Amino acid sequence: MKHTFYITLTLLIFTSCTKEVEIDIPGYAEELVIDGVIETNAPPFVMISKTKDIYAPTDIDAFLNGFVSGATVTVSDGTNTVVLDEWCSDNLPPGAGPIAAQMFGISESELANYHICAYLTLDPSMSGQVGKTYLLTVELDGNTYEASTAIVQPTYFDSVWWKPEPSTPNHGFSWVYLTDPPTKGDAYKWEVKRINIGMDGEPIDQNFKVPFSPVFNDQFFNGLAFEFAYENPFAFETETPEEYLGLYPLGDTVVIKFSKMDAQVYEYLEKKYLQIQTAGNPFSTPTNIPNNISGGALGVWAGFSPSYDTLICQP
Amino acid sequence: MRSLIFIFLFFLGQSTFAQENSTLSGTITDARSGETIIGAKVFFPEIRQGVTSNSYGFYSITIPADSHTVEIRVTGMETRTFLLDLSKNLELNVDMGGDIQEFEEIVVNAKADENTKSAQLGQIDLDIDQIKTLPAFMGEVDIIKTIQLLPGVSSAAEGGQGFYVRGGGPDQNLVLLDEAVVYNAAHLFGFFSVFNADAVKSVNLIKGGMPANFGGRMSSVLEVNMNEGNNKGYHIKGGIGAISSRLTLEGPIKKDRGSFIVSGRRTYIDLIMKAAIPETSPFYGSSYFFYDMNVKANYKISERDKIMFSGYYGKDLFSYANNEDDFQVDMPWGNGIMALRWNRILNDKLFMNVTGTFTDYQFSFISAQDEFQFSLNSGIRDYGGKIDFSYYANPLHKLKWGADYKFHTFTPMSVSAEQDTIEFDTGLAQKLFSHESAVYFLDEFDLTENFRINAGIRYSTFQHVGPFTRYIKGDGISTQDSLVEYPSGETIQFYHGLEPRISMRWMLKDKSSIKAGYSYNYQYVHLTSLSAVSLPTDIWYPTTSIARPQKGWQASIGYFRNFLENMLETSLEIYYKDLRNLIEYKEGALPGDNVNDNTDNLLTFGRGYSYGAELFLKKTYGKFTGWVGYTWSKTDRIFEELNEGNPFPAKYDRRHDLSVVGTYKLNARWLFSASFIYATGNTLTLPTSWYVQDQDLLFNYGQRNSTRMPAYHRLDVGATLYSKEYKIVTDPATGENLKKKKRFRSNWAFSVYNVYNRANPFFLYVDNDGDFLEGNFEISVKQVTLFPIIPSVTWNFEF
Repeated sequence: MKHTFYITLTLLIFTSCTKEVEIDIPGYAEELVIDGVIETNAPPFVMISKTKDIYAPTDIDAFLNGFVSGATVTVSDGTNTVVLDEWCSDNLPPGAGPIAAQMFGISESELANYHICAYLTLDPSMSGQVGKTYLLTVELDGNTYEASTAIVQPTYFDSVWWKPEPSTPNHGFSWVYLTDPPTKGDAYKWEVKRINIGMDGEPIDQNFKVPFSPVFNDQFFNGLAFEFAYENPFAFETETPEEYLGLYPLGDTVVIKFSKMDAQVYEYLEKKYLQIQTAGNPFSTPTNIPNNISGGALGVWAGFSPSYDTLICQP
Repeated sequence: MRSLIFIFLFFLGQSTFAQENSTLSGTITDARSGETIIGAKVFFPEIRQGVTSNSYGFYSITIPADSHTVEIRVTGMETRTFLLDLSKNLELNVDMGGDIQEFEEIVVNAKADENTKSAQLGQIDLDIDQIKTLPAFMGEVDIIKTIQLLPGVSSAAEGGQGFYVRGGGPDQNLVLLDEAVVYNAAHLFGFFSVFNADAVKSVNLIKGGMPANFGGRMSSVLEVNMNEGNNKGYHIKGGIGAISSRLTLEGPIKKDRGSFIVSGRRTYIDLIMKAAIPETSPFYGSSYFFYDMNVKANYKISERDKIMFSGYYGKDLFSYANNEDDFQVDMPWGNGIMALRWNRILNDKLFMNVTGTFTDYQFSFISAQDEFQFSLNSGIRDYGGKIDFSYYANPLHKLKWGADYKFHTFTPMSVSAEQDTIEFDTGLAQKLFSHESAVYFLDEFDLTENFRINAGIRYSTFQHVGPFTRYIKGDGISTQDSLVEYPSGETIQFYHGLEPRISMRWMLKDKSSIKAGYSYNYQYVHLTSLSAVSLPTDIWYPTTSIARPQKGWQASIGYFRNFLENMLETSLEIYYKDLRNLIEYKEGALPGDNVNDNTDNLLTFGRGYSYGAELFLKKTYGKFTGWVGYTWSKTDRIFEELNEGNPFPAKYDRRHDLSVVGTYKLNARWLFSASFIYATGNTLTLPTSWYVQDQDLLFNYGQRNSTRMPAYHRLDVGATLYSKEYKIVTDPATGENLKKKKRFRSNWAFSVYNVYNRANPFFLYVDNDGDFLEGNFEISVKQVTLFPIIPSVTWNFEF
């Protein structure tokens, strides 16, 4: 169905023109944004920020000043409860680098150049475990926000491979074979990073990146076994010849992070990516993203159980 | 109790005129083509009474037995006058527009005083010949776009076909083509209408005080009647335009007894695209075109019986190919419509029409990429029958009654997806079956010389029957999803209701009038739309146990006055409308949610209201004709589950809407026209704030429809150059030069759309560009404009 919208949009673009306008958008109210994640074998990590008016400044200072300090953040797995500490990107505890890099969107080596703060814990008892449900509580300015998420059983691919396209013998998609478990409600997220060694002697990608439509659930294929392909999202970042867009070149080595999540997190991500994909599309209905946080904050408290596979792009 | 009142009134009418009366009845036709004439006025000047012909050209009037002068008046034709001895009943069939010169008098507008005299409010007849002279978008004469120029009617968006009448939704308009329902009146995502003007005879819009013979929709009736074809001789007409061409053939089946007309139209955007996209391009094979065809045939079996067949078939086909990705999409959609009618004049006062109709609207979406195939179908199919009786008791009293039945089959969404041998679980193909029926009774009578009442009642029923599968969603914890199966024929839900309708006219001394009306309507079908713009993907959905029938009432009052011997018609109407059980998708619903579920589980229900004032000023004849329409209105919606239960403006809520339309006939060869529109901008929901989550920029939306787009305004102009009507021939016998009417006539129609190239908003969106960390990040509001200035030229011909 999504294609319908894109095609229609394409048709409109043939005849339409776009210009910037100044228009009154009434009704701005500042809201809290909680962005928390807990993954298998990783500490809980929470960033708190506030929404900005559409016409507010968008420079780096505005971005950095948007983070909120001084909140009391606790995570409980039903047995243990831990208060998270506030850490900043230039002074992170050992082991928090990769997840902080992913959350801040800054490469791990550059973290020290910025001062962005978040909440996490070094307490090993709060490292994410499959099968557990984690309750997040944020207290700020007399308000309490709560959210709960589960780390569900992961599902592993049967196999992964690379296959060149007929028209491009040295470029192809990443393919996998998946057997969906028999119970309904499995939800998946696809992320990749390339670990080929670059000119600087480091892997070319530090952080995982999502493709255009990274989440899906088993609504249409519950219990089935089938193969499917995903595009290379990095190919859209650099100047890639049109015929190679979305394809991995022969010789790439790619880590596929395939995470599972609970239904509420899935719904959040589904609507989030829909919002991103349909931005500026007149045929979509503008909707806010439903989340799992009570108390009126935006964002999500997301538990993931990733499985990792390495794909070597060789026939 | 109500029925008693009607019976009483009926006999009141009868008894007053029971003695020494005679009835004059017959059919009015166009002498040149044999087409019946709708709305011809049969007028007795001595007693100042008259009647107009119905949509089949039939009239009947009962007056005191005596000698009478009777005038037959038709807009744009010579009035014919007869001196009749009406000591007994008489049948008078009249051919209009011939060469008869007796009692010559030119009456330019036969229905001139109907504006003030009729009891009907909020009704506008459009002259198809005038529509053809107005500036046309890309040269395509368009009935629906002309309707949008009337007060109280607004368009959905730039170029759109959806029309909104007095705050009602686009599904609340009953669009009838020769009495058959048209579910999707648009081609090309709404830029063109399905009505080919060459095949259309008359257009009538009722936006308030809907008479009881119409039902099933809450806001308006748009009645489009097709031409019947010339029963005197064969004729061809057509047009060649920038994006499409038309051809119409008409002629007698048997002279003076029956005729046919076939009219076809096709766009050639696909040929232009084919030329523009080279074979090496990955998009080679992408194309779009539409075609449609109208067919009508009629035959007079006897002096009292006539049968008519009308058919319409139209299709849009959009194809998109991306050969690089081995991706192909085909999207065909279209309507097929048939109506078979039988008119019988049972006696000189009683007219009967029996209609059988078939309507089918289907939309498909078929895509394939590599081994993956996906297809989606949606549609609605109706089989219907109706019978109507018109009884012309006397000039002061007319009755109508009848019954209407439809069997609907709805296919909201049927999806299949497969990859190689794997077939994905896309749920059951949902089909919903229902019976919709109604009976009505309508009585129009003059209570006093100045006071006319048109009162009616309609009783409608709707029955959702099996087979049907109801999905019941569990919460996934204590209750699981389950299915309830209903066997074929079982009644799942039954609704019924009375729909009273009344309108009144009070004639004042200065020939002006005050009219008031009230109507209550039920609507058993809903159009569900996930997008802010009308699309063929919008789904028609019936009333079920969850989606209750829409219902609502409208009250209106107006002052009507004509000036300068009816040359200038004016009216001011105000209305209030209350609508219940309106539908919207729940917040965040996605098209895919329709799969493995019932559509109505995704819907939420609310109400709406609208009020406004409409001013209409029309110059009906002279070298210069045209109108000015102005509407002030307010339209709100209230849904418990949307916008936190707070009222929000409908997306087409417009405070001001002005249209000015004019045509000027310079001489026999040149005609100029112009139209100007000004409308308050549509509302929309834009994000009020932004935030970042997991490195992604996300938007937070505020109150629904709280932002208003810039105002819409546009000027279009047109000019038509007609070929010379006469040629000079030399009489070989006398050598004298004679003026002879040419058989072949043609004209060039020039149009310029959006003359001053106004960048009107089609939609707005919030755009972002750049990177935070690189310091070049920006958020801005962008406006998309569809159509700049577009000149076009069309060559039309007939012989």
